[in-house]
Amino acid sequence: MKKTPVRQRVNGNLRTRFFARSALLLAGGCVVISLLTFLNTRRLLMDEALEKSEVILQEVEAIRSYVQNELRPQMYALHGKDTFIIEAMSTTYVSVTIMDTFGQFMPDYIYRRASLNPHNPRNLADPFEEEMFDWFEADPERTFWQGIVKKDNKEFFISMVPDYFLAPCIRCHGKVEDAPESLVERYGRDGGFRFKEGDLAGIDSISIPVSASLRKAIQGSIFLCIAMLAAMLLWLFLFNRLFNTLVVERLTGMLASIQEKSSRKKMQNRDELDVLHDSLGSLRQYVRSAGIGEGLQPGFIGNYVAKHPLSVGAMSWLYHGTEANTGIPVSLKIGFAGTLKNPLYLACYETEMHLMSSLTLPNLPRVKETLGNVLVLDDISGDCLASLVTGQPLSFAKTRIIFAQLCKLVATLHAQGIVHHDLRPGIFFIDAKNQLLLTDMGLASSDLLPDPVTAAGLGPQGDPVFLAPEQLSGKRGDPRSDIYSLGVLLLLMSTGQSPFTEQKIPLQQWVELKEQEVIPESLTKTKTLPDQLIPIIQRAMSALPGQRYQWVEDFWEDVDGVLNK
Amino acid sequence: MRLMIFSDVHGNLEALKAVLAHSEQHRVHRRICLGDLVGYGPYPEECIQLVRSLPGCRVIAGNHDVATLWKTSPYGMSSVASKVILWTMEQISEESKQYLAELPDRLDIAEMNFSHANPYNPQAWRYVFDRKHALRCFTATKSRYLFIGHSHRPLLITRNNALDMDIQPVPGTIRFKLSDTRRRIFNCGSVGQPRDRDPRSCYVIFDTRQHQVEYYRTPYDMTETLRAAQQVGLPAMIGTRLKKGL
Repeated sequence: MKKTPVRQRVNGNLRTRFFARSALLLAGGCVVISLLTFLNTRRLLMDEALEKSEVILQEVEAIRSYVQNELRPQMYALHGKDTFIIEAMSTTYVSVTIMDTFGQFMPDYIYRRASLNPHNPRNLADPFEEEMFDWFEADPERTFWQGIVKKDNKEFFISMVPDYFLAPCIRCHGKVEDAPESLVERYGRDGGFRFKEGDLAGIDSISIPVSASLRKAIQGSIFLCIAMLAAMLLWLFLFNRLFNTLVVERLTGMLASIQEKSSRKKMQNRDELDVLHDSLGSLRQYVRSAGIGEGLQPGFIGNYVAKHPLSVGAMSWLYHGTEANTGIPVSLKIGFAGTLKNPLYLACYETEMHLMSSLTLPNLPRVKETLGNVLVLDDISGDCLASLVTGQPLSFAKTRIIFAQLCKLVATLHAQGIVHHDLRPGIFFIDAKNQLLLTDMGLASSDLLPDPVTAAGLGPQGDPVFLAPEQLSGKRGDPRSDIYSLGVLLLLMSTGQSPFTEQKIPLQQWVELKEQEVIPESLTKTKTLPDQLIPIIQRAMSALPGQRYQWVEDFWEDVDGVLNK
Repeated sequence: MRLMIFSDVHGNLEALKAVLAHSEQHRVHRRICLGDLVGYGPYPEECIQLVRSLPGCRVIAGNHDVATLWKTSPYGMSSVASKVILWTMEQISEESKQYLAELPDRLDIAEMNFSHANPYNPQAWRYVFDRKHALRCFTATKSRYLFIGHSHRPLLITRNNALDMDIQPVPGTIRFKLSDTRRRIFNCGSVGQPRDRDPRSCYVIFDTRQHQVEYYRTPYDMTETLRAAQQVGLPAMIGTRLKKGL
């Protein structure tokens, strides 16, 4: 296999990820800051407008008080009690007229004197003011109201105060026949009469349009946002150059020296640090395995020469090797010295060695010899199932041949009281004749042997993608857990894609994921996955063990019924 | 999944071959032997080897298997049985003895329990014929279906409630549909020495997909067995019992 430098496969992933995510974070920050700025400006504008409106209302009240208490008595003294000069003696007329003049200079401040029954029809209350009449009348203690009201699709800050009739007012607003003639002549006999002292005469209000102010606030916020984004882009650009020089180029240089066997497709969506992490993990396991003393690649274990690794499991390496004397190829299953110092893992590994030595099955490599923590197996050749199904589905015929062996093997194990607990593509090899070989049983349990995993209360072990939900929940699992894994394996073989693409999520999220989604919709549309196979896989991958196939044989019969057509 | 369950081969190789050949025609996936591979019959070693060679076949220890290893005294058995056990001890290989020594006395698989005589005290070898012992069996396990042997008489015990059970002998080839949730004990009879007055070998197939239990009776070439028994000097009483199914 031609080795391709890692630099070409993962070029730029880390930099792209870092800056894409930084840009997203900073852009989000800019938007949030602009929004907060706008909200604060709006609050200040409202406070200021309401304060001003209150001042103007007090001013109107002062005018009305002046007319009522100063001007009108003086006019009575000069012209007699029967005289009523509206322009000088009507509080409403005087205040409205003055505020109209005020409005010509300050058009943003709109004064209104509203009444339900006014002399002047111009002062008739609109529907909103009618509502406010009801509000003030409901409780005479209410003497002031402020708020934002929408009228004609425009927003206004409005301040309102009620005005009640006093005794002097009743002359003009009581009975029609008592009213001054000049008043009746000007406004007629209908409106503005039949009140008595203490009635709600009207509402004085000041309205200030807020749209213009708000528009300015929005414009300011947008400008601030754009300015911040521009500054952020400039900062990112400069930081990008610095990061590229100091980190990415040097990291990529390091990775170029690591020869990974993984295929290009495996590298998709992975960055330099992921690759470095994997490489360091492999290195760590290699160093562990080297701790058995003899050293490996090449190295001698008894009468055997270890050559190159075939695969790696949780507790052991699988090495290709030869008999030193004859050159006959063998495979060497070598326990990690460091891992096996833990009595629990040692017990698991001993169970695995016992099971592999005691079982004689066509899909299990024969154990030739046991040398301490090393199992000498018949030569294992061919490709790992994981590499065969990565990114590309198997043909129907090949799927049927391989899956038939897989089901037969698992059924035989189950019949012997053995549950594998960790079925995944990385532990199967397929030779040139499509013969399947199982290379790892590190987490298997037998009903005739003590189970160290159960005894130690060890949590979930294995690849979460292939583990059944009950295993991910911490239970040991039973044959039906293997059936779940077989379902995932069949889906992987039929589509070339894993149904679960998540990589680093907590176990609880794995459980929830597997309870929610059996087969992603995108996979059900895969051409290489027959429609009839979907419900079969769905049943095998049911979240509840009771809803799955209970026996591998039943599962295989249904699968074969589809693949054999 | 179709599970063949057979019991009490008792060294009767012809009968064992006959039931295995018969079961092959009935599409069996797995097999479980409920013990007593040896005793009474002239081919103990051959029967052990044949059963060991069956792929995915599990075996439970029976009282004759245990007695052959001197784990229990053969002198506690009938005089005919003890004589044959003493003879069998000389016939089987060390490898086979090791194999017998490792046999479990009880298995629990999914909703099924398997034992030679009973699940509540497997090494005491009590027969389960009546309500009292059936109740002990049901109490000893949560399994819905219990499969036993030992008595050499095919029997079906159905638990209606804690106090009421139906106990019925199973004559000949017959099929039981398990359409309800009641718990049941199936005595699988005997391959090599039936004692229900039917000399044909008896075995059972449990079909988990169809939810049914099938009892089969299979004839075999008894003359060869009788000849071999006579040739090796086994008590003549054994031949008489084989012929009459007693």
